[in-house]
Amino acid sequence: MSDRILAGIETEYGIYLEGRGAEDQVDDSMALVRDYPGECFVGWDYRYESPRSDLRGFKLERLAVDPEDAKFDQGRAHGKDHEVRADRVLPNGARFYNDHGHPEYSTPECWSLDELALHDCAGETVVHRAAQAHAAASGHSIRIYKNNTDFHGASYGTHESYLVPRRLGFEKLYPALLPMLVVRQILTGAGKVGSEQGARCDFQLSQRADFFSDAANAETLFRRPIFNTRDEPHADPRDWIRLHVICGDANMIPRCTARKVGLVKLALQLCINDTAPIWKIADPVRAFQAISRDSSYGFQVPLEGRNWTTGHEILESYFAAAEATLDLDADARWTIQNSRSILEALGKDPPTVQSQVDWAAKRGMLEHFMEEEGIGWNDPSLQAFDLEYHNVDPDESLHAALREMGSVAPNPSAKELIPRITECFEPTRAVARGAAVARFRDYLRAVSWSSLTFEIEGQYVELELRPDVDYPSELREIRDVGTFIEAIKERMA
Amino acid sequence: MSDGDRLTRPLTPEPGKKLGDESGPSRPEVRKPGGGNELLRRMKRVDPDQAKRYRQRSGE
Repeated sequence: MSDRILAGIETEYGIYLEGRGAEDQVDDSMALVRDYPGECFVGWDYRYESPRSDLRGFKLERLAVDPEDAKFDQGRAHGKDHEVRADRVLPNGARFYNDHGHPEYSTPECWSLDELALHDCAGETVVHRAAQAHAAASGHSIRIYKNNTDFHGASYGTHESYLVPRRLGFEKLYPALLPMLVVRQILTGAGKVGSEQGARCDFQLSQRADFFSDAANAETLFRRPIFNTRDEPHADPRDWIRLHVICGDANMIPRCTARKVGLVKLALQLCINDTAPIWKIADPVRAFQAISRDSSYGFQVPLEGRNWTTGHEILESYFAAAEATLDLDADARWTIQNSRSILEALGKDPPTVQSQVDWAAKRGMLEHFMEEEGIGWNDPSLQAFDLEYHNVDPDESLHAALREMGSVAPNPSAKELIPRITECFEPTRAVARGAAVARFRDYLRAVSWSSLTFEIEGQYVELELRPDVDYPSELREIRDVGTFIEAIKERMA
Repeated sequence: MSDGDRLTRPLTPEPGKKLGDESGPSRPEVRKPGGGNELLRRMKRVDPDQAKRYRQRSGE
C-alpha cells in the first residue's frame, strides 16, 4: 500500500480474585500491575491525554458513566484518575496499567499486522506474569480473562488505534469506516453465549454487540458507539487523527487479531485514496446486533430506502475496491485473501472457519460438549466454558486446549513471543520509548506516547517522538544519555 | 464504487430475494474437535458456576 498506517491494540483484561468482589477491583487491578516482576519505568505523563475531545470539533463536559457500575464506588474514597492508577512503561515501548477496574496492556505501536498480533499475544504473557506475582504476594487465587463481558451486563474493551492524516476528518472517516465496523465481526468476533440486552439468543458472534447504543459519539463507558469520535491523537493534532476503534472483541487466535486490524487498515487506505465503498446502512446499531445474532449466517443488512444487502457483499465491496484502486502491500493482500477464504468456507468447510475465527472455534467446542453430555444451550455451564476459553493461563485455558489439539491455528512460539516483552522489533517510536526505559531509567522523568522527558544535571529535556519517523534498533545500543537525546533530536529535525 | 445502483444490488445472483424473506442460507455443520481428551478434561474441571460468580466493573 502507498501509505503505512501505525496501529496499536489496548486490551482491558477481566480479573477474578477468589474471595474478592467487583467493589475491590480497582484496588486489585492496581496492586496486580504494581506486582509486575519485569523491567519497567514508573512515570506516565498524563499531560497529553484528552479523552473528552470529539473529532467533530467540540469537547464533552464529562464522559457518561454506567449508573449500575457507579454503585460499586459508593462509600469509597477513590481519588482522581491518576491517583487510582498504577502505570508502567515496558522496555518494548508498551504501557501496562490499570484502567480503573481492569489491568490494561497497550501494545507498542506497530506497522505490520504480524508484529502487532505478536505483541498483542505477548501482552497476555505480561498480564499472566503480573497475576502470578500478585497471587504469590496476596495469597489470592487469580484468574485473568482476555474477554469483553461478565455476562451480567458489564463490558470492558479491546480498543484499536490507527494513526491517520488529520485532513480526513470525521466527514470522510465515518462513512468509509462504519460499514466495515458493522460487518467485521463476521470474520473477527470472539463469540458469546447468550445475550445481556435485548432479545434472548443462544449464541452470538460478538462479545460487544449488546453494549452499543449509538452509531457515533465520543463515549466509551456508557452509551457506547460503533464509531468512536474521541479525538486524542497522541501526536501533533494538526497533522494526525488517532482513529479509536472500540467495537472489536478481544481475540485469542492471533490470525483473528491480524485480520481484525487488517480489515480496518484496508478501509482506511480506501478512505485516504477516496475510493471507499459507500453503504448507507439504515440503522447501524440494529444491523450490528442483528449480524451478531444471525445463526443463519445470511447477514442481511437493511439499507436506507428500503433496500438491503448482506455482510458478505459489504466486505467484498471493500476487497474489490482495494484491488481495483490501491497498490496493495503484503498485509493487504493477505487480509483480502484470508478473509475471502473464510467467507467462502462459511457454511461449506467448518474446520477452516473454526481454526481461524474465535467465535467459530468457541461454538464448535461448545456444540461438541453439548452433544457429548446431552445438554442444551440453556445449561449454565456453557457461559463458564465461554469464560474459560479466554483464560490467559495456558494450563487452564480452553482456547489453549484447542490449540494443543490442533483445532485452532497455533500461537506464536515462545522464541517469537518472549523477546517481544522486552523489545520492539519494528522501527516505530516504541523503539525510542523502549530504549529510554531499558537504558536511561535513571534520567527518565516522564513518558507519554508522543514524548520522553529526561532530567540531565538538574535541567528537564523534553523530546517529541513523531510517529512518522523511523527509529532504528541502533538506538538501543547507545549507552550515553546525551548521545541518545541528540540522536532522537536529529531524527526530529 | 461510485455507481449508486451497485450499492443496493448483491453481486451474487439472488433474484427476488427481499428483506424478511425466510429462506436464508442454512447454518453450517459444526466441526467436532478431534482427539478431544485434553479439551474435555479441562471442560470437566471448569466450575459450572464460574460465570455466575464472575462480576466485573464496567470498562471502556
